[in-house]
Formats: sequence, C-alpha cells, structure tokens
Amino acid sequence: MNGLDGTEKRGIKELGAEKLVGWDEVEQGVVINSFEGDATGVANVHAENRNYSDFNSYTATVASWRVIKPVYNRDYCIDCQNCWVWCPDSSIISRDKQMLGIDYDHCKGCQVCSEVCPTNPKSLLMFLEATENDEALAGWPEKKEKEK
Amino acid sequence: MAKKYDLNEVEVWDGNYAASQALRQAQVDVVAAYPITPSTPIVENYGNYVANGYIDGEFVMVESEHAAMSGCVGAAASGGRVATATSSQGFALMVEVLYQASGMRLPIVLTVVNRALASPLNVRGDHSDMYLGRDSGWIQLDSFNAQEAYDMVLCAFRIGENMNVRLPVMVHQDGFITSHTAQNVSPLSDDEAYAFVGEYQPYNDMLDFSKPVTYGAQTEEDWHYEHKARQHKALMDSRDVINSVFEEYKAKTGREYKRVESYLMDDAEVAIVALGTTVETCLLAAKQLREEEGIKAGVVAPRCFRPFPFDMIRDALMNVKALCVMDRSAPGGAMGALFNEVSAALYTTPNRPIITNYIYGLGGRDFSVKEAKRIFKEQLAHAEAGEITTDIQQFSGLRGPKLGFFKTKRS
Amino acid sequence: MVEIRWHSRAGQGAVTGAKGLGDVVSTTGKQVQAFALYGSAKRGAAMRAYNRIDDEQIINHEKFMLPDYVLVIDPALAYTDNITENDKASTKYIITTHLTKEELIAGLPSLADKAERVFVVDCMQISLDTIGRAVPNAPMLGAFVKVSGMFELDYFLDRMKKVLSKFPQKIIDSNMDAITTAYNAVN
Repeated sequence: MNGLDGTEKRGIKELGAEKLVGWDEVEQGVVINSFEGDATGVANVHAENRNYSDFNSYTATVASWRVIKPVYNRDYCIDCQNCWVWCPDSSIISRDKQMLGIDYDHCKGCQVCSEVCPTNPKSLLMFLEATENDEALAGWPEKKEKEK
Repeated sequence: MAKKYDLNEVEVWDGNYAASQALRQAQVDVVAAYPITPSTPIVENYGNYVANGYIDGEFVMVESEHAAMSGCVGAAASGGRVATATSSQGFALMVEVLYQASGMRLPIVLTVVNRALASPLNVRGDHSDMYLGRDSGWIQLDSFNAQEAYDMVLCAFRIGENMNVRLPVMVHQDGFITSHTAQNVSPLSDDEAYAFVGEYQPYNDMLDFSKPVTYGAQTEEDWHYEHKARQHKALMDSRDVINSVFEEYKAKTGREYKRVESYLMDDAEVAIVALGTTVETCLLAAKQLREEEGIKAGVVAPRCFRPFPFDMIRDALMNVKALCVMDRSAPGGAMGALFNEVSAALYTTPNRPIITNYIYGLGGRDFSVKEAKRIFKEQLAHAEAGEITTDIQQFSGLRGPKLGFFKTKRS
Repeated sequence: MVEIRWHSRAGQGAVTGAKGLGDVVSTTGKQVQAFALYGSAKRGAAMRAYNRIDDEQIINHEKFMLPDYVLVIDPALAYTDNITENDKASTKYIITTHLTKEELIAGLPSLADKAERVFVVDCMQISLDTIGRAVPNAPMLGAFVKVSGMFELDYFLDRMKKVLSKFPQKIIDSNMDAITTAYNAVN
C-alpha cells in the first residue's frame, strides 16, 4: 500500500507534458481511458491504489501553478470536512472523515479551504510557496478573542 | 423478447413508414426525439412499436432537438444502438450536437426528412437541411424513393457500426415527395433484416465498468488537429465499408446500390446531376428524350453525399459534353454546393466538360419531367455551341424576370 | 400509367382512400404511388390526393398530373375547386352529390361538354347510412371500382378487408357495406 500523501503515480509529470503523437495514434473519438488494465470494482479502491492512466489528471501535477499554499495544522482541526467539501480540485486528503493533509500535486493555492475553515485559529492558513511547513506551523497565530 | 411483424412480400409504404419499420427491424435500443414535420411519423411509429412490444427499447421524450441529439449521444456513448429523426429547423437546432456525435465517433443513425429552412416558414421539401449537415463529419446517404429510404436505414447501421468506421450516419429522404408518398416497398422479414444488421457491438462504452472512459474531452491546439484529421481519415476510409455493405445488401435483396448512381450514362452526351427524388424524375425525362428525340441523356446522382465520391463522380461524368448540376437549396451568395463539388472533381479531367448550375425546387416547388427535358436540351445547346450559352447559375421554375449569375469567360 | 386525382377536404379520408386503393392495387402485382398535397392546413381545408398506377416501377415524382380519373369526395368542392384542371379528353369524373347528374351539370358549366364522362354518387349519405359518420372515402372507392372496371367487386372487398384488418370487425363490415352500396348506386 502506498502512503496517502505521496503515492507512486500521483503527480508524476507536469500537466501537458504527455507525449504528443500523430493523428494515426490518437484514440478515436477523443475517448480518454482513466485506468490501465482491468478496472473492475475500482470505485471500492482508494485513489492511491488505483492504476490511473497517463491521461488521468491524477498522474499529472499542477504544483508549479501555485504561488501561495495552504498549510494544515492538526492541533486546531475539528474534522468538520468543510474544506474537503469546498476544495474545487479534490486536494484535501481525508479518510474515514478524518482530515489527513493536502494533495500538493493538485492544489492550485486558491485559498478556498482556508476561507471556509471555521476553527479559531484556523486550521488551514495560506503561506508563500517557499515557506517550509514546519516554519509555518511554528509561527501559527493565537486564538483571537471575539470583539465585543 | 420483442414481438415480430408479419410483413407481406410487397407493402405499400410511404418513406416515413419505411424508415420506421427499418428502425424497428434493427431493434434500436434508444430513440431520443423531438418530432417535427415531415419526419414526425418515424419517431411516432417507433414509440408505437415500443408501447406495443415490437421493440425492446426506450423512447426518450426531450424538450428540443438539441436535447434529442444530446440524448442520442449519451445513449450511444453508453453502448446502445441509437437512432432519431428530424427535419429543417429541428435539424438546424441539432447541428451543434451533430459535430459532437461525429467527433466522439458514435454510430448514431439520423433519419432526415429533408425540408426547407425558414424564413419564410415552410414545411415542404428542399435540401437546405441536408446541406447544413455536409461539414458535420457524418456519413450522409441519400434515398430517392420509399424503398431506398428503407434499404438505406438498414445499411446505415451496418456502415456506421463497422469497427473500422464508427461514425454516425444520416439517411436522407425528400420531405413529402418521399416521406408522404406511398409506393411499393419490398421489405425483408424481421429475421432477415436483423441478421443483416447484426447484434450491436459496443466500443469504448461508458457502461463497461472494467474500462471507465471519459467522453467529451477538451483539446486545444496541441491535440485538436490530430483528432479532426483522424476523424476525416475515418470518414474517407468508410468508402470501402460502404461499398462492401452495399454489395452484401445486393446479395441479400437483389437491389444494387453504389456510392454514385449512374443511369443511362454509357453513351451519354448530356447529363444532369441531382439528389433525392429529382434523380428519378430526371431519369424519366432522359428515357423519354432518348425515345422521342434520340438525345443521349443520362443522370448521375451521389447516393453517398458524404464522404463525397470525388473520384466516382469524375469517372461517371468525364466523357459527357455538357452537364447541369441541380441544387435544391438556396445557395446564399454562391454557386450551388453540389455544383461546386462536382465542378472541382471534373476540373481534374482532361476534357473538362461544360458545367452549369440550376437552383430549383425550393420550399417544395414542383419539379416536372417537362422541365427536366428542357434542361437536358439546354445542355445539348451548350455542347453544340462549345461553350455555356446561358448564365452559369440559373433558376428553374421561378416566377418573375429571368434570374441568373455569371457568364463564361471567353478569351 | 393510370393517374387519379382526389379532391377532398382535410379529414375526409382522401389520403387514406388513396393509400387504401394503392394497397389493393399492389396486390395485383402492379406498381402504385399515393400522395397528397396538403400543408399545415386545418381540418376542412381543400386538399388533393393522387394515385399513379403502372406496370413498371413509378419513378415520376412530379406533382403535375394529367388525371385519368378525378374523384371529388366533397360535394362543395365540385363548385369551388378547379376539378377540370389539366384534364384529358378521356378523363372520367366521379362526383359526390345529392343531386342528379343533370342537376349537377346544370350548375357546373365546366362539365357541360363532358356529361358522358361524369358519374355521380352520394358518398356523404351512403357513409352516414353505413358507417354512421361523414367519411366519404370508402363509398368513393366502391364507385371507382364500378366506373373503372379495374377490379371485380368481390376481389376488391376481399383485399380491402385485409388492408383494414387492424380495425374492429364492426368498422370493417360497415366499410364493406359502404363500398358495396356505392358500387351499386353510382351512375
């Protein structure tokens, strides 16, 4: 079994870096196969164990598109799943309703997860891409008092 | 198990009924339709067959022709045998999705009962809608009577579903003149017809859960061109499959079809090129002119409008002295489309026969045997003069002052 | 080639009549064509239906016709429609009317010189008496069988029963009655 946030096939190439082939080699009807080989029952297999094809976005990465990134702080998270619901790129990794982290191969840094996080302080905050996660966590803000 | 029809050896069917019986015999799984005159009875009859147990299929009622073809695309991508019918404005509304269907290589059969396009609103037959589909990437087969409307629909499934083709197919018939004219039709029995069409073979179908696929991908300049080129190649390559399906159909029924039909052309000096019922009316005129006046007249007709039979048209016509290409569609500021295509083919011959263009029959205006004879004789006059003696584009059966455009360029 | 032109109102069954005639003719081994000229007109609008009958496949698709028979199944259309249009010296007319032939021709100058080719039958009354509704197409078929001599009545009835076989027996019987009555009444 592969690890959840660093799998064998996830984000292994830049989006658009697929091999360009001639007209005689393209799949007729612009049909895209999501998986290599027999995918029977794939709905019951976790993403990290699926045999995604080269044309599935799972194997592509858009990490370089990102200028700011969300950093996840487990200490304040209440596993409400709000970020998982709102993320437009399925980049919140959650398993059995427990928040595990960010899929940095597909996250484009849109900040939606941070916006919708309800905790105080937030469990997801945006930092410059170059900032190390440990550094970000070390400087996490304190709980804000409600203004009266 | 669907019930069977007990058909007579000879039935008296109109083109709509003939097409709907062919859909029934092919046991079409899904028809998504928004009925429109004059093609309404085709899908109406399909619904009837489903309701009364003669087809194990689904009639999907939708809110527009755009939705009808969208439903067909969905059902075909899911792996079913799919067909529908339309005409005129309905066809126009379908156009966007026609390109989707051919781009996705889905072998849908669309029975088109040709009708004029508004404005002015008109329910009768001309070829405006057929011409509107000519760049859509569909195979377009044309029928000249009710028997052929039946035959072409059965052939359409075999052609489109062939694994080397996998393209959607339109089967055209003339609104009212074919669709509402009952004539002798010799159908196959249900068993014979189904044996000919065969069991549907899915390919890349979305309901194959062992191989999930995505349809309708976006491609930009890095991929689009290659996909369109491959699609065009497939359409061109369908010519061989169409030939072989027609041969097989002949072996089964004795009825012979070719991608280009030639009538009385062996020794013809003048010819008319036309589509639809006009082909037969012109053939009658040619027969009469041969008997009455010894004029060597012949008729050439593309049975297969797309892929356009460039080489066969050329071979059929290269030895005539003068010919007229008849376009039953308002040309919208150009020469008729069929004229342009036939001219392009004949330009690559050593003789380059004299070629002129008639616009005719718009909105169902009658085209008579008498007028066909007059046009043949006009070609003879061009041939004798050695050049075009009239305007290159003229209008047949039009009231008011004579209308015409462009003269031949003399040195 | 035999050519027939029906003058009717939309809803009176000229199309069905023309197609039914075509069905029966096809069983004799002949080739037929049955079509109509009507647009988006409503019930009651004047319309025309056509038959062509020939030994060879019919490849003529023009609407223009020189009719051998003109069948008028609505009494008023004899007066308001141009029923003698494109006729020939041999064209026969079968006209539905409650009038005698002499009374009819007296009111229709265009028929004056064709009297020996005009036949009358009251399809409306016959259909009311037999079928119970004003559907004059079936009686006209009976009159046509008599005037044309194209079929024996029994042969025509037998074949027509097969054409109508999907209908309830009562409707088949009343149509046979209408055809027979008109066959005997036309003069």
